[in-house]
Amino acid sequence: MMATRSRRRGTGVAAALAVSLVLGACGGESEAGAEQGADATGGTLRAAFAGGASETLNYLQGPTGLDYVRAKLVHAPLCELDASAEAGVSYGVLKSIDVSDDLSEYTLSVRDGVKFTDGSALTSKDVLYSLRAPQLLKGLPFTQLVARGFDLEKATAPDASTVVLPTLSPIADGRDLICQSMLAIKDGTTEFTPQTPSSGPFTITAFEAGRSTTLRRNETYYGQAPSLDSIELVSIPDGTARVNALRQGQVDYISGLTPAQAQTLEGVDGTAVSTGELPYASYLQFTMSPAAQPFDDVRVREAFRLAVNRERIRENVYYGHAFIGNDVPGLGFPNYDTSLEQRAYDPRRARELLAEAGAAGIEVELTAGPELAGMVETATLVVEDLQAIGVKAKLRELAAGELYADFGAYAKLPFKAGYTPPATFEPNWTPGAFPDVDALVQTARSATSAEERLSASHQAQQLLWKEGSQLGVMFVPNISAAVEGVSGIRELQFPDLAQATVSQ
Amino acid sequence: MCAVTLTVLSVLVFWATDILPGDAVGAVSGPDATDAEREAVRLALGLDRPPLERYLDWGGGVLHGDLGTSMVSGTDVTDIVGARLEASFAVILPAAGLLLVLAGGLGTWAGLRAGSRLDRALSGTTLGLIGTPDFLIATGLLLVFTLWWPVLPAVAIVPLGQSLWQQPELIVLPAAALALGGFGSTMRLLRACVVQSAASPYAEFARLNGVRGARYVWTVVSNAAGPAVHAFTIMLAGLLGGGVVVETLFNVPGLGYELTRAVGTRDVPLIQAISLLLGGATLLVLLAGDVLVRLLDRRHPREGQP
Repeated sequence: MMATRSRRRGTGVAAALAVSLVLGACGGESEAGAEQGADATGGTLRAAFAGGASETLNYLQGPTGLDYVRAKLVHAPLCELDASAEAGVSYGVLKSIDVSDDLSEYTLSVRDGVKFTDGSALTSKDVLYSLRAPQLLKGLPFTQLVARGFDLEKATAPDASTVVLPTLSPIADGRDLICQSMLAIKDGTTEFTPQTPSSGPFTITAFEAGRSTTLRRNETYYGQAPSLDSIELVSIPDGTARVNALRQGQVDYISGLTPAQAQTLEGVDGTAVSTGELPYASYLQFTMSPAAQPFDDVRVREAFRLAVNRERIRENVYYGHAFIGNDVPGLGFPNYDTSLEQRAYDPRRARELLAEAGAAGIEVELTAGPELAGMVETATLVVEDLQAIGVKAKLRELAAGELYADFGAYAKLPFKAGYTPPATFEPNWTPGAFPDVDALVQTARSATSAEERLSASHQAQQLLWKEGSQLGVMFVPNISAAVEGVSGIRELQFPDLAQATVSQ
Repeated sequence: MCAVTLTVLSVLVFWATDILPGDAVGAVSGPDATDAEREAVRLALGLDRPPLERYLDWGGGVLHGDLGTSMVSGTDVTDIVGARLEASFAVILPAAGLLLVLAGGLGTWAGLRAGSRLDRALSGTTLGLIGTPDFLIATGLLLVFTLWWPVLPAVAIVPLGQSLWQQPELIVLPAAALALGGFGSTMRLLRACVVQSAASPYAEFARLNGVRGARYVWTVVSNAAGPAVHAFTIMLAGLLGGGVVVETLFNVPGLGYELTRAVGTRDVPLIQAISLLLGGATLLVLLAGDVLVRLLDRRHPREGQP
């Protein structure tokens, strides 16, 4: 069985070996404990993530996904993006966010009865501090979203349960900024240790960077009580090693699988692979700089977009574990324009457009690096597709970490791979290249009526679809796997283990 | 002399990381940061200062025992390096022991019986091993000992509060993979030294004078030991930072693994600390080898006199 599978996939010696290893490791051990059900309570979940020596409890500066997964278990969120909830957010330690009619002021109401682990009540002061902490404690850029839209200097806490946040300029999507990644910490927190007061569903009992974290259920948690007694977060940087650990029963859940690993694990007894749902998928795109030749001609951009066989990429690179993109960001978010026609795969039309633009046989170089699962492989297929329409395309492949390391140089590349984490389109739009889109995004963010905002957003997306600079081929979700008996893990931008259950 | 070498090394490493395209700002900021946010990160990391000033600042800290903080996580570099060093040692020392016994024993045996069936079989095996990349050896071991005969854990997961030393079953496979990886070349070098020594007039003289058995073996081996010890120490120094594949596959992230990650994220203080440590350790190992050879040389005339 091992040999036939690896032959069938035929992805080279190394991959075949990894595959056979993984497949072969399927002993019968995971068949035990097969009873599964909502009544399962207690127990310990052992979950493995990439992690690494640079792990830190300071989630504002934590560079690894594991840091945020852990922080989310320890610190309650203010609110969370939730496409199924009203206004696109569900609430945590806040109970509501109200916007003034002129969109210049947001009022945050704090939920009653939330307590920190040191027994003190969570008040508006703590919420205000939590909002300011990314700036005060020099958080990573992704934690600074709130400061991009709000004037935190002028924010106030008029009473114990209210925070008033003035905007920098009127915006309607302030909830998205507040709810993307903000967690509640206690006023004055400057250090993050296992003893730091927190208000989330779990508390840390022990932590060693690059090795593991043990967490215990927080009995004073305000929300739905977790079923698990404890969680162990294990750091295993290498993907193959994570898969081996799952197969041998050393851990119950692993996150961050490559599509090939997922394909290998799928259909193997005792394990289940799960793929994140939309909108929680990273946007993999190839940007064609409209300021550089030959991409200053919109026909060339359209030709490139038509030349790429997206279905082939989805099947051959992602084994179906990805969502086909339509050259517009934000797939799955409420504002995404679902009426847009899916871009066709039409190499003949692409050739014609290139000929019309006088760009037949042009030379281009696509720069890519392994920054997202399948990025380089996708770029390879894109280059092949471009060669098929007569473009002299070649791939420049960078080592891991190099693509974004020199951002100034990256920004100047005429044709480059990139990705953006799951996020709504408007607040993350970078203005400059398309003034018409800039104006529409401005309206979509600040018009007073919801219809007007949505209509402007859709118009902007239509413009981008027609003339934009992105060849947005794929939305790539996180892939995870668990042994039988594990359930309740929410695959959001990062996996949420708070409501997980394991059968005994 | 060591201090001069290490200083030159630190300057070279600093210069090399400085001319690499990009810096930690890119790694820390991610794809979505605005220019203003990038600039703030650059200021916070102190990367706006001229390289010479940053180097002198770092060097001053090192003289006072402060290796600085990681640019990526803000944690103390000493802590990171300490943990990685422990993991490296836990695997390398048993690997070195295994290497010494295997390569030393078999190398001597094959050398003394050059041309025999055993020698030819060993030559074939070692040539095969030299030609086998580390990941293949490691994967083979995983296949045999975690799958076909599942007696060992595939991945090292050390319980909190314990160290890798306390879990010998976690060390066996990575140590064996490292030892097998180094076995081929070390054994062949030893064998060649022993063959040469056995063919020397000196050994012939010993044989003609009736030196036999263990005493003869020792006569030949101690004569061959100089180059052999050198070969072994160079192999050992290579293991210190060179076991990246094995470290990755068995989840025992040691110095080599951490260094490659640090270079990827342009984490200069961490790169500097690990390179210095590897440089220092290599010098120490080579020095120990030289001292040992000198000691053997001194003993040799006494032992060798018939």
